[in-house]
Amino acid sequence: MMEQEVVLSPGSSAPALPRFSGVQRFLKLEFLSALGLLPFIWQSLFFFIPMLLLFSMSFIDNSSGTLRFTISHFTQLFSTTYLSIILNSVGLSLLTTLITLCIAFPFSFISIFHFSKYKNIISLFLLIPFWTNFILHIYAWFFVLEKNGFLNQVLMHFGFITEPLAFLNNFFSIMVMMIYYYLPFMILPIYSTLERFDSSIFEASMDLGANRFQTLLKVVIPLCIGGIRTGIFLVFIPSFAEFLIPELMGGDKYFFMGNVISLYMFEEKTLGTAVAFTTLSLAVVLMIVYFIQKGLVLFTRRLTRGVRT
Amino acid sequence: MTRSIRLVGVSKTKNGNKILDNVTLTIPSGEFFALLGPSGCGKTTLLRLIAGLESVDAGKIYLGEVDITHMPVHKRKINIVFQNYALFPHLDVYDNIAYSLSITGMHEDEIDRRVFKLLKAFHLDKLVDKKPSELSGGQQQRVAIARAIINEPEVLLLDEPLAALDYKLREKMLIELIELQDKLLTTFVYVTHDQFEALTVADHMCIMDPEGGIAQFGTPKQIYEFPDSTFVAKFVGNTNLFHGRLGKKGDATLFHASDLGTFTVECTPQKLELIESDNAIMSIRPEKIFISKKSVENFSNTLKGIVNSIVYTGRSTLYEVLLKNGKKIQVFEQNEEHFPQVNIDYDDEVFLSWQKENVVMLKE
Repeated sequence: MMEQEVVLSPGSSAPALPRFSGVQRFLKLEFLSALGLLPFIWQSLFFFIPMLLLFSMSFIDNSSGTLRFTISHFTQLFSTTYLSIILNSVGLSLLTTLITLCIAFPFSFISIFHFSKYKNIISLFLLIPFWTNFILHIYAWFFVLEKNGFLNQVLMHFGFITEPLAFLNNFFSIMVMMIYYYLPFMILPIYSTLERFDSSIFEASMDLGANRFQTLLKVVIPLCIGGIRTGIFLVFIPSFAEFLIPELMGGDKYFFMGNVISLYMFEEKTLGTAVAFTTLSLAVVLMIVYFIQKGLVLFTRRLTRGVRT
Repeated sequence: MTRSIRLVGVSKTKNGNKILDNVTLTIPSGEFFALLGPSGCGKTTLLRLIAGLESVDAGKIYLGEVDITHMPVHKRKINIVFQNYALFPHLDVYDNIAYSLSITGMHEDEIDRRVFKLLKAFHLDKLVDKKPSELSGGQQQRVAIARAIINEPEVLLLDEPLAALDYKLREKMLIELIELQDKLLTTFVYVTHDQFEALTVADHMCIMDPEGGIAQFGTPKQIYEFPDSTFVAKFVGNTNLFHGRLGKKGDATLFHASDLGTFTVECTPQKLELIESDNAIMSIRPEKIFISKKSVENFSNTLKGIVNSIVYTGRSTLYEVLLKNGKKIQVFEQNEEHFPQVNIDYDDEVFLSWQKENVVMLKE
């Protein structure tokens, strides 16, 4: 958004700053700018410094009891095993992002513009999952997906299947849990962005000759692209490092970046390798985030492309 | 090309409330038409039905001779200027105005030509790449109108377009709108609850009653000077109403107002038949009454009273005069001279006089 331009008539000078006494000056200026430092100090103490310390550990070898500089933690990562784990993780998180987006966008649009009466109830239902512990949700899903679980019972009752299907401990159960868990993170930003707009904007588009599809492409999506971007990042970044869901729902068969990091961290106790792997995954995430960001900008520009050349 | 709009028996119910009740109305082609009514009388709903943003429960809508009752909104060559303008916040002024043309896939040079022509006419050429949030209310208004007329609709609907503007700007925009309509000759339908705006812009206008029906249709002058009902008389402009009964004395029609006396009035035979003589209402506009401290000859009717309050507004003065039956009536005088011959002050006894032709008789 461009800043509003203040037009001064020619010859007029900028208004003089009001004079403050010493105490007022301190209160108004120094004190306020000092307040601005607080978040910076907070971030430094609890984020930047620990991150730097952690990062430095990936270059330290203490296997012989003395600390030595090494890059072996990184070089060992460049193998096909690790490469396929990285690709799996990218695939899992991109797939989760894509599916949640495909559910969240129509859900938000329909619930805001067609069920606006139930807006508060819908928001409540979106937030309820955050009130209880995540592990409980996983166990709830066990009951649904297990061999004698709810889903199999229902399918057999209606005669779709005769033998219970194995829904648990495979890629399907991982995806179900991933989508279930990350869906609210996608819906909330899109929902709150769409909520800000008056439906008359969409009516204006239709009134000016655009059909529903053209309105969707030229007005609705460009308007909530900010919410879509936030949603994508809120889902993509954490789901890339997700280790609990694959571990609990995948039955030890599936390894993603999060599982490898946790393995080195807690089982093997090789901190250096774990941190090196974390650094690598951070680099991959940042790269993909950069491309998504670029892609979204291009996409919006293409949708709203004016007729001027 | 411009066409008329015809509504036949249109009804609309929302959430169990009857918003429009059997409305039949013809909006003449190429005219500036005003739809005036109190808040909540369904005039915006009527506009949305014409635009196609909502569908009718019963009745038909015609554009010229074409039945458009079930035509989807984007196919109707009818555009609307929303009350809140509904500009696209993500598009700049140029793209907002070019929107309807770019949808049709028109050649870019042609779009460019048309948009810039309109930008110049609307004095927006310096704001081409500003976003709506960077514009003032008046500028947003202009963009909204330009956006709605660029694809040459057959009818332009305006939903209280000046409600968000301040008084001075409103007067200016009213005149601009009238000039624009003169130039385009597109049918304009202007919805408002402000009687001043409606009287100013309209060639023909229609008053809606609070129950969602049509109270009266006519030119502004017909509606102001000859209201059909007490509702219209009170809603459009100010008026003084007297209750009483009608009588005849030779050729003259007389009106007996309870405990005020008898007045001579003029009433057409058709109207006389319509009004129940025992329950008639006499309406006289404040500006039709002449106020003076001495009795004046040559007026059909005269009434005495005491000045109760004086509101001086510069170009005119509004007097409130207490009559002997305890009723107050309003009198409106133009301030034609710096120093009027006789100054009227509080508690002065005054004579109020009017001609019988200026009275309107109404049914209870």
